[in-house]
Amino acid sequence: MRRLLDSLKQSFRTFDKGMREDATSLIRKQLDEEENVFALLTMGVFSGIPSPPTGVVLRILPHMSREIAVMNKRSAGLDDVFSQTLGTFDID
Amino acid sequence: MKTYFFLGKGGVGKTTASAAWSVGLAHSGMKTLVASIDPAHNLGDAFAIRLGDRITHVGDNLDAVEVNIEDMIRAYLDELSVKMKHTYSYMSAMNIDGYFDILKNSPGIEEYATMEAIKKFVALTEYGVVVFDTPPTGMTIRVLAMPRVSLLWTEQLIKMRKRILATRGMVENVQGKFEAEVDGEKVVLSSREKEDPIMQELVSYREELLALKDMFSSDQSYVEIVTMAEDLALSETKRIIESLGKFKIRVRAIYLNKFFAMANPPEEIQGKMEEQERVVGRMKAEIRGIEVKNIPLLRKSPRGINELLDVYSKYLV
Repeated sequence: MRRLLDSLKQSFRTFDKGMREDATSLIRKQLDEEENVFALLTMGVFSGIPSPPTGVVLRILPHMSREIAVMNKRSAGLDDVFSQTLGTFDID
Repeated sequence: MKTYFFLGKGGVGKTTASAAWSVGLAHSGMKTLVASIDPAHNLGDAFAIRLGDRITHVGDNLDAVEVNIEDMIRAYLDELSVKMKHTYSYMSAMNIDGYFDILKNSPGIEEYATMEAIKKFVALTEYGVVVFDTPPTGMTIRVLAMPRVSLLWTEQLIKMRKRILATRGMVENVQGKFEAEVDGEKVVLSSREKEDPIMQELVSYREELLALKDMFSSDQSYVEIVTMAEDLALSETKRIIESLGKFKIRVRAIYLNKFFAMANPPEEIQGKMEEQERVVGRMKAEIRGIEVKNIPLLRKSPRGINELLDVYSKYLV
């Protein structure tokens, strides 16, 4: 009986997690986009985009690992923007 | 604390004027520091002693220093590199190490380091006055403008960051802690401004920039232009005053250095003296509210405290 309850609890937890992840997937995409823009704006000098004064860039550079990773991920997928957009809206 | 910035083209006599000015202030009893932030130093030559990166006592109430901007850049980037090795658990994201050599030569880094040097010296509370012998005009104007320009960028980036944190907060509300994967490593990201290191860095940089901007445009900060009584110099001086005016930085005095003052000039320099008179006339008519003073062409360049004090008391006050 206890094992049955535990596995029921576990399945509800997984279901709940899945629902929550599904509910926030679009917001996460938006967040990725905002972080990507932030990184492009501040670190874009490395790819030829005009950048803020060097002082500003140098100050935040040590904390930009996440944004740089997002920017790299986004640039890597730039040749497949169409499928990314379709994926975002669950269109197969 | 009072600050004086001596501005002008290369070779007009900024170093002599700033050295003489600092000697005069120290002589009047004010604890004074004179700092050369010009990469082509010769402040030590004016005092006839060897100066370097360390603040050196050169006379009663008077210390001097020549800032090595290149060393400052190198030290700053080294420090940054160490900081990054702590915070970036991986260096592969964009091979940061490889970019440091480029950063050393990136546009604006010299101005940034110069601004940092100014910030460092004005924070020294033991001095009542800091006199700066600056690099040639163009760069100094960019340095003086930097806090205002950087502030515009910082304000915008803070706004963007707030938006990112708000979006992160939305995810957090539904999912609990916001976990993200950065190059295979799980990290927890906060949506609170106080826990976001980028936001914290931007906010503290904004505070520093605001303080510097207010200091540059305060009535305790003075810009002195050193130039020569020539037609071209007149136009340049007007442009400097206009550029600084845009950043609310006021010019206190203009020194016309190497001024020909002789009763019976030889024929060869009569044309030059007419030009001088014309420029002085136009300067007084076209530039209002700024004192114009002449420093005559001296028989020999002043060297050492006594000769500099002589220049101060005869021509600068």
